[in-house]
Amino acid sequence: MAVKFFGQFLIEQGVVTHAGLLKAIGLQEETNRKIGAVVFEMGMMTQVEIAKVHQSQRNEDKRFGDKAVEMGFLTEEQLQQALLCQRNSHIYIGEALVKTGGLGKEDLEKYLIQFKENQRPYTVEKIELPIGVANQSIWEMVADLTNKMLIRVAEMSFRAGPCQIIEQLPTRTMVAEIGFSGSVSARYLLTTSQNSRKIIARAILQESDVDNESVEVLDDSVMEFINIVCGNIAAKAAQSGFQIDISPPITHNPSDCGLPVPEKHTGLMFPIYLSDGEIFELAIFINNDPA
Amino acid sequence: MKKVIIVDDSIAVARQLEKIINSSDDFNVVAQGRNGAEAIKLYMQEKPDIICMDMNMPVMDGLSALRTLRQTSPDVNVVMITSLGGVSDKYAEALKLGARDVISKPFDAETVLKTLQKIA
Repeated sequence: MAVKFFGQFLIEQGVVTHAGLLKAIGLQEETNRKIGAVVFEMGMMTQVEIAKVHQSQRNEDKRFGDKAVEMGFLTEEQLQQALLCQRNSHIYIGEALVKTGGLGKEDLEKYLIQFKENQRPYTVEKIELPIGVANQSIWEMVADLTNKMLIRVAEMSFRAGPCQIIEQLPTRTMVAEIGFSGSVSARYLLTTSQNSRKIIARAILQESDVDNESVEVLDDSVMEFINIVCGNIAAKAAQSGFQIDISPPITHNPSDCGLPVPEKHTGLMFPIYLSDGEIFELAIFINNDPA
Repeated sequence: MKKVIIVDDSIAVARQLEKIINSSDDFNVVAQGRNGAEAIKLYMQEKPDIICMDMNMPVMDGLSALRTLRQTSPDVNVVMITSLGGVSDKYAEALKLGARDVISKPFDAETVLKTLQKIA
């Protein structure tokens, strides 16, 4: 059970072949143009201007269109026209499979309904974030998907507390971290208490008793858990057009004063309360100055 | 019995996969690696029938290792077992590079064994 894309679901159902999927993806790659290509074809920007925007994007985490408007190469109205043109010519994987003969037209709707049902457990629910945090929809999804994976993968019962902005992450038994890059720049951190680490280890190792496991194995299980969560976050983000690359997981053993939020970062913390009274936290350190 | 190599930076995942694969009479795990560079070295040493490999690993990631392995040994059978299976670009890249299949994490024993049986 995981966040999937439609083509992967169809392969797992035995409806399409790997070769059929690759053919359809090839059609998507030919048809779905990047916004830079669209504005060039519409005569709105020159290749030199496009290259300047790409160069500038290396130093600032902004979308191409927003950056082009900021640099004065496009008006807001031109950007909206180009985005509309890009949307109108966009082809989804299901349509691409039909066009390349990998899937019958009559089957498309049937399997889309089955796919939506399969992915229902991962529909993002609203989570309140403090006002002023950029890319709110991504961080809501990150927090919500973490909660869902704690329930479905770790089989944990807990109460999720409200999001807080923090300067310091509290000291716990251990902290596991994965870095996000691409459309956003941030550090994903999950602290664990003694008990929550054992619950996660039991689920990842698929063992009923982990009392005799070494600290190394227990910590490794938490790292693998966040690896699964963040992989699914990357998949969910990709469905909304955001590219999130994840780094391999690492662990911290924070000092008694906890783990400070670095300069130029916003620290979001989501407390998680276990029924036995233990607390642990999901935290996201958002980098506000990726350059 | 088919020889299998597991490559994953997680001890927990490698242990779980080894248990699943060795539970079948058809497969035997002969070696384990922790990153893509170790996968290449172990492949040369052990000449396994199948490599089960993670994507997101330190030192050398799974897709880079797959690319190198396929260049030197085009017949190598690699199954990517990854938390990034749901990312369409990564899934497609693995298939284009010649992975025989992609399994998403979290996985179950049935999916792993069925996939290996299909390849063997």
